[in-house]
Amino acid sequence: MTHIGFFFRLFGWFILRPMGSAKGRTLTVLLGVALGAAVFTSVRLAVHASLEAFHRNMDAVVGRAEQTVLVPGGRVPESLVARLLSHRQVKAASPISTTYVRVAGSDTEPFLLLGFDPLLDRPLRHWRTTDAETPVSAWLDLIRHPGTFIAGSLLAERNGWKTGETTTLLHAGEPMTFRMVGVMAGGGLSAAEGGMVALCDIATFQEFTGWRGAVDRIDLILAPGETAAAVQALKKDLPKEVQIRPASRTRESGRMMIRAYQLNLSILSFASLFVGTFLVYSLVALNAASRRKETAILRSLGASPRMVFALFLVEGTALGLMGWLLAIPVSGLLLPFLLEGVSETVSTLFVRVSVPGFSLSAWEVLLSFTVTVAVAGAAAVQPSAEAMKVPPREVLAVIGRRGVPDRQTKRLTLAGLLMIAGVWPLARLPGPTGLALPGYAATMLLFIGFAMISPAVLRRLGRSVSIPLRRLAGTPAYLAGRYVKDSGTRTAVSVGALITAVALFVSLVIMIHSFRETVKLWVEQTVSGDLFVASRLAEVNDFRDPMTRDQIALLHSLSDEAEIVASRRFSLLYDGRVPYTLQAMAMDPFLRHGDFVWMRGDARASRPALVQGRGVVISEVFANRTGLSVGDRFRQPLQGTAVKLPVLGIIRDYRTQGGVVFFAFSALQAQLGDVRWTGARLYLRDSSGWTAAELRNALLERGGGSMDMVLGKDLRGEILRIFDETFAVTTVLLFIALAVAALGIATTLTILVLERYRELNTLYAVGGSSLQLRTMILWEALLIVSVGEAAGLVCGFLLSHILIFVINRQSFGWTFLYRVDWSALALSVPLVIAVALAAALPAFRAVFRQPPAAMLRER
Amino acid sequence: MSLCRALGIAWMGAALFAFISPAFGSGGYATVDGPCHFSFPRDHGAHFGHRTEWWYYTGNVRTEQGRRYGFQLTFFRTRILAPGAEDPPPEPSAWRTSQIYLAHAAVSDLEEERHLQAERIARGAVGLAGVQTDDGRVRVMLNDWSARIEGDTHRLKASDAAFSLDLVLTAQKPVVAHGDQGYSVKGAGPGRASCYYSVTRLAAAGRIGTSGALVPVNGTAWMDHEYSTSPLEPGLTGWDWFSIQLSDGSDLMLYRLRDAQNGTHSASSGTWVGPQGTARHLGSEDFRITETDSWTSPASGAAYPAGWNIQIPSLEMSLTVSPAMADQEMKTPETTNVVYWEGSVVVEGSRGDVRIRGVGYTELTGYAAPFDAPM
Repeated sequence: MTHIGFFFRLFGWFILRPMGSAKGRTLTVLLGVALGAAVFTSVRLAVHASLEAFHRNMDAVVGRAEQTVLVPGGRVPESLVARLLSHRQVKAASPISTTYVRVAGSDTEPFLLLGFDPLLDRPLRHWRTTDAETPVSAWLDLIRHPGTFIAGSLLAERNGWKTGETTTLLHAGEPMTFRMVGVMAGGGLSAAEGGMVALCDIATFQEFTGWRGAVDRIDLILAPGETAAAVQALKKDLPKEVQIRPASRTRESGRMMIRAYQLNLSILSFASLFVGTFLVYSLVALNAASRRKETAILRSLGASPRMVFALFLVEGTALGLMGWLLAIPVSGLLLPFLLEGVSETVSTLFVRVSVPGFSLSAWEVLLSFTVTVAVAGAAAVQPSAEAMKVPPREVLAVIGRRGVPDRQTKRLTLAGLLMIAGVWPLARLPGPTGLALPGYAATMLLFIGFAMISPAVLRRLGRSVSIPLRRLAGTPAYLAGRYVKDSGTRTAVSVGALITAVALFVSLVIMIHSFRETVKLWVEQTVSGDLFVASRLAEVNDFRDPMTRDQIALLHSLSDEAEIVASRRFSLLYDGRVPYTLQAMAMDPFLRHGDFVWMRGDARASRPALVQGRGVVISEVFANRTGLSVGDRFRQPLQGTAVKLPVLGIIRDYRTQGGVVFFAFSALQAQLGDVRWTGARLYLRDSSGWTAAELRNALLERGGGSMDMVLGKDLRGEILRIFDETFAVTTVLLFIALAVAALGIATTLTILVLERYRELNTLYAVGGSSLQLRTMILWEALLIVSVGEAAGLVCGFLLSHILIFVINRQSFGWTFLYRVDWSALALSVPLVIAVALAAALPAFRAVFRQPPAAMLRER
Repeated sequence: MSLCRALGIAWMGAALFAFISPAFGSGGYATVDGPCHFSFPRDHGAHFGHRTEWWYYTGNVRTEQGRRYGFQLTFFRTRILAPGAEDPPPEPSAWRTSQIYLAHAAVSDLEEERHLQAERIARGAVGLAGVQTDDGRVRVMLNDWSARIEGDTHRLKASDAAFSLDLVLTAQKPVVAHGDQGYSVKGAGPGRASCYYSVTRLAAAGRIGTSGALVPVNGTAWMDHEYSTSPLEPGLTGWDWFSIQLSDGSDLMLYRLRDAQNGTHSASSGTWVGPQGTARHLGSEDFRITETDSWTSPASGAAYPAGWNIQIPSLEMSLTVSPAMADQEMKTPETTNVVYWEGSVVVEGSRGDVRIRGVGYTELTGYAAPFDAPM
């Protein structure tokens, strides 16, 4: 028999057989690991699906474009297309304009209409139709016939469109009747927006939208040669308001945002797995401890310490492996829910994605397998190392060595305290943009630190409460206190699991509450107004379409009833890299009715300058992303001019697709001349006696049907609703972590009972009643859970600071006002204790499973 | 007809005509059903009412050191909607047009046996492509490629990453109208015809670059201009077209329309142009073309003829035509997706008892795939 073969036979006898005889315990641990692994895998797969959908979309839309020509805040003159195509540095140039449109008389969601030149675009993007007679006929139809489009397959399917049918599409301008001349087949542009896309000729696009003479952007493939030199040469030959950027820039900024979200959810889901590994530790530790005699026999028969180490290590790893396999069906149940939740959150917060389903990524499967097995193996290292120290002479010993030396506890405590002390400096380290790696590293350090100091806390608690407990609750409570004092690292590990779960719970409760309260304040102050109006589909089209003069005149006609705050938004990149919204707003009326939530800067002193357009206020996200601070100068090229204004203040803002910069509408008018609005908010005058709904009805009656309108209170309610939905996934993950921790408590207490089978039965044999023994176990559970809960609360409060002021800042660029939801915490503390004590039930049942006489006879 | 027409036909056949007009008929386009009565410079310009049109230049040039190059530059125009069939909106976009242009260019570096080629396509709008006629000057352009015609002078410009050419061509002979005053019949029925003329001999001078630097070159060139509406007769699979400039001062254009059995269609014809520019029409019965060699493209797998004997008894002319280099296959994935052979050839032979030599260009279509969509 080979050495390996022998090892595995030994593994079967020594590890698997006892494991099989304690099925309940093993299954509990496996269930804990499986839940953790399933959550981790499902979350990763769900975010991966969103990321893939985003990549597919960007790949389809960007195609082979290398550089993009655009005008910040404006559109590119179409005459540049011919100029670029004649440029020696340009191999291909394709004009692109896009807008979201809606089918008239339908409730279906808006879809992307992409206007392009099918001839010039051929080198850049691939697409084909399912039913074209020839490859050319589809694009030829688009060019030949005004008002034709080719639909993505999903779009055609959802609307039940057949080739040749007509439909009316709505946009900010006049509706237009289109005829569908084909449906895109798979691949290329058909993947854009998950198939919710339609292509039309650039001429049709301009005739529909009215944006004649200009295009959104011109995508380029450069002639062979050095890119940097080519870009420089092009810049020289282009008008100064025109910028040229790598085509992948949009893709990169979107990818970074999703990646940050992926990391946050991965870490949160890893917490479940992390908590699950405490179970592995407990079980391996129990097995190692309860089989000391057998281990000593094995050693006396010639097994090396290394082999003993390997046996227990493989046990931990096997638990990880089996847990991972069990996680597969659990993931199948979790995934549909997570897929929907995650894709909705990504679409709401970052970039629109359409996730048709998930594809099994080999990398994600491998990652999940490796992480699960590795952490389970790692959890088994310490008990395995303990087991390998069992000397052969222990065969003859009546009672094996137990307990943890005082010195070791001190060392652990010192290391734990050092780790906790290192948390804040580590959290403050600079990390990669958008990825809160230092914050998460600090979180892990905090968890481990607290787990390491828990033996000392238990020891101190046991020591200090034993005597009072005897007076208070009699001998069983005293014995429980003494046991907790001496229980050492094994109990501490389960306490560590509880600390982790409670800390996660507390910190997330605080973070979500703080976030919501701050968002609520922001919504009430900054998103103030009784009625918000904008051109049709303005929001989904990034407010690019100005309102028509008729629409503006209509609003003015109601100026006796409502005060109008006009605004104009531009979606821009600051320094060509930071996406943000530049919003010009009539400051005076706005500040009379609402306000910004100021973080830095003197709100009162800055107000005149802000109203007169002598400065800007920037959001915290924008400040963090760009490094701009109060007093710095904000610079932005805009439609051929440049906005150059000092930063007057930093404000809180929670729009999710980058930062925002506010400045006075009058300053924009001075800069650009006649400026049309992209939206307005209306504040009812007291004298009008109208309600917001009446104001909206008045606008509708006077022909305002071509505008999007939303009541202020509905908008604010919608923002908070989206906020709550966004945290649905987080809350589910949180409860799963708590469930795994409860499993940990159940396992730990059962183990504590099983470990002391003989002691408990001896106590019974010398006169202790079963009630006294059960009371003792209950007190042990109470003490352990109390320590876990108390330490978890402290850890949670520390963690909440890291989450709010470090991880959110590093991930999304924002922080919140620190607000503790005391009522939720007050409710949760007894709840967690109750759940943990309920988890102690299996331990009660485990006491006296065997008759004491039988136990004693064994000796 | 210049058989650059084959290219146009190929594109039309493969792409447009089958879609636009599956049945034979003009469908509102201007038709060619009699003598064309050319008037210049007007007819150097575009004939927007016809469905298709092309301006075609080829030539053989050499540097002072004797390094030889062949070149071709062809502009195609096609109208994708018949006059009157358009239904533009009240305020049409500047991009709205029925005219589409494409162009192919190639330089054959005969010393290094490199065939460099490029293609362009764009609609005739927003300054991307078009034909402008202004005060007797005609400019055909597509992006930065152009052909400008002013009097007897033609200025060609085209460049790509791999090559560039900038040539001034000066007509050495008057314009020659093929067929009956330009009425060039292409099949059975009066409508199967095109208006077709050539400038068969132009002196070429200018610069060609194949490795970055432009080098001065001199030589001879050929120009065709043709426009038509009708599709080709069904059953034809391709064309062999020859433009030859001979050392005795005469020039020869011949095309052979092939059917599926490689037979010669009776509409095949040619024109012999004497040293003084006098033209003589050649019917299909007046000449015989025999293939003497073949070459298989490693890229497309198409087997092309690669050598010909041409016999024209009425002129006592016997010519041997050989490719100046084998691989001059054009591949046009970005525009027409048609594969054809268009290349420089060298000619040797005799007229009567006199030995003659020459250079020219040959175009071979329908060898990579038959043109079942006809013109």
